[in-house]
Amino acid sequence: MIKVEGLTKIFYDKKRGKTAAVNNLKFNCKKGQIFGLLGPNGAGKTTTLRILATMMLPTKGKITVNGCDVVKEASKVRRQIGFLSSETGLYDRFTPRETIRFFGQINGMKDEIIKKRMAEIFYNLDMEDFQDVRVNKLSTGMKQKLSIARSIIHDPSVLILDEPTVGLDIITARTVIEYVQSFRAQGKCIIYSTHIMREAERLCDVIAIIHQGNLIAQGTLEELKKNSSSDELEEIFFELINQGEDLK
Amino acid sequence: MSWKNIRLIFVKELVGTIRDKRTIIAMIIIPLIFYPLLFAGVGYFSKIGSLKSEEANSKIVIHGAEFAPQLVKHLQDSEKIKVFTIGEDYPTKLQNGDIQAVLVIPSDFKYKIEQEEPGKLILKYDATEAKSRIAQKRVNQIIEKYKGEILLQRISRLNLKEEFLTPLILQEENIATAEKMAGSFLAVLLPYLIIILIFAGAMHTAVDITAGEKERGTIATLLVSQVSRLEIVLGKCLAVMLISFTSMVLGLLGLTFAFLLGASIAGGIEGMNFGISINTIFLLFLVLFPLVGLASAVLVMVGIFARNIREASNYITPIYMLTVLLGVISVSQGMELTGKMFLVPILNSSFVFKELLLGKIYWDHILTTFIANMIIAGLALFGATRLFSKEEVLFRS
Repeated sequence: MIKVEGLTKIFYDKKRGKTAAVNNLKFNCKKGQIFGLLGPNGAGKTTTLRILATMMLPTKGKITVNGCDVVKEASKVRRQIGFLSSETGLYDRFTPRETIRFFGQINGMKDEIIKKRMAEIFYNLDMEDFQDVRVNKLSTGMKQKLSIARSIIHDPSVLILDEPTVGLDIITARTVIEYVQSFRAQGKCIIYSTHIMREAERLCDVIAIIHQGNLIAQGTLEELKKNSSSDELEEIFFELINQGEDLK
Repeated sequence: MSWKNIRLIFVKELVGTIRDKRTIIAMIIIPLIFYPLLFAGVGYFSKIGSLKSEEANSKIVIHGAEFAPQLVKHLQDSEKIKVFTIGEDYPTKLQNGDIQAVLVIPSDFKYKIEQEEPGKLILKYDATEAKSRIAQKRVNQIIEKYKGEILLQRISRLNLKEEFLTPLILQEENIATAEKMAGSFLAVLLPYLIIILIFAGAMHTAVDITAGEKERGTIATLLVSQVSRLEIVLGKCLAVMLISFTSMVLGLLGLTFAFLLGASIAGGIEGMNFGISINTIFLLFLVLFPLVGLASAVLVMVGIFARNIREASNYITPIYMLTVLLGVISVSQGMELTGKMFLVPILNSSFVFKELLLGKIYWDHILTTFIANMIIAGLALFGATRLFSKEEVLFRS
């Protein structure tokens, strides 16, 4: 599981000086749970996810993934996470089969296990038809399926998914969502960032709303509804953001 | 550090690079097909051109032929010269290429020769035209012959022997072997070519697998895997080294083949034997290895620092220019390096290449060069790894 306590990230900019991209965040994500991270652009979602994925160091706070510290035990953390975002591109000159084999190998997997898992994932994600076609010839949907396959080849117990349905057609988006649900069923701990409210409503067990680096609300959809005058997540989201603006 | 991970990154970069059409064009098609065709074409056309010029008769106009009838007769007797003695518009004709040279004999020429004074002749030609230069050479040869005759007449009048005119005989003997001649020939150009080919070969791949990965958004995928930053840098650097070295070898092969092809078409090279001993090849490799490493590590470091391919190219251009400059300095004739100068990268390798090709083995130069370049390559690798761990470099946009 993921435990985030007092996560703060301060950036220094010559023009603006010190800016807190993320300020004192605190949340937990348990096994078999989808934890939704909602927020407008610049809210601090990507920074949070980058820190969780060990690509960035926090300025303050303690973050652990299955008990491993993301700063002190980065390598151990990487072994346990699957990370997918718009930043995690694919190699154009490789085929899906070569891509998955490569990422399996650099994650320390044996060839026989890679083969077995690859066949399973390709079947589940309906990728068998294009497994030997070079990535530059694939459609956006096919590429996203491959990205998912890439992020789960080493069977991580934690998944960090940053807007995984962005730019996908409705059919592929549905496949992706179903697959994320199956990950939950497998007992994986999933952090899911999105700006599509319906997706968050449908998928997330717990929703955290971040605005300007601060966590302004956290809870199940029911809990959020209880504290709001609205029943729809989109309305709740705007209500909370406006409250945040008023408090400033 | 795991060698398995370094190998995986190395193979991945190599396969990706080989599958890039631009690599195939730059590494194989240009040196092995384009260079030979270009040189063969140049050789063929220059031969055709010079044959045509040599075969054609030179048309010359003599102004004042009556003042040197003997000389005019010699010119008229020459097979390759056609003499015209009339016409006043010869400057225009010379400019238009209708005639190739004009010989002006002043009216006092005959008198001066008789008085045993120097007789002045004026030869007008166009140095930019091959045919005119050939005419000048032909007329000169006949004038020299005529000069000899006048000299003989003058010394016989003084009752002197012909040997009077030859007080010294200098016999020059070139003791250099055909191998040494070839080495000296190669020492002028080869070090420069090796350096340029190494850098040119490394540039594209180094930028593509660093700044290119950033641009395509694939670098983060690698950073969240279990491969360490050092393993990534080493794997990438080794791939650039292999590509750079292969490009250099293929480039040299292509250029050698192209040169020999062009030269044999144009007439061949004499007095040289292009054989390099195994020892020299081994020592060349000893100097080459750290140079290739240095070029790759520096270019990989710059590529990691840059935001995108364009920015990387902007940073690399001055480095490449500096390399070319150091290469040019090293091929300058008469330039010698002293002890500490062998610490200057690129320049040191170039001079050691030069020495080796001339058959000179100075171990202090070889070792200084080897160590200096290895240290700089190591520093660049360290720098590249550090940059890979810096958030502000990785996530600059």
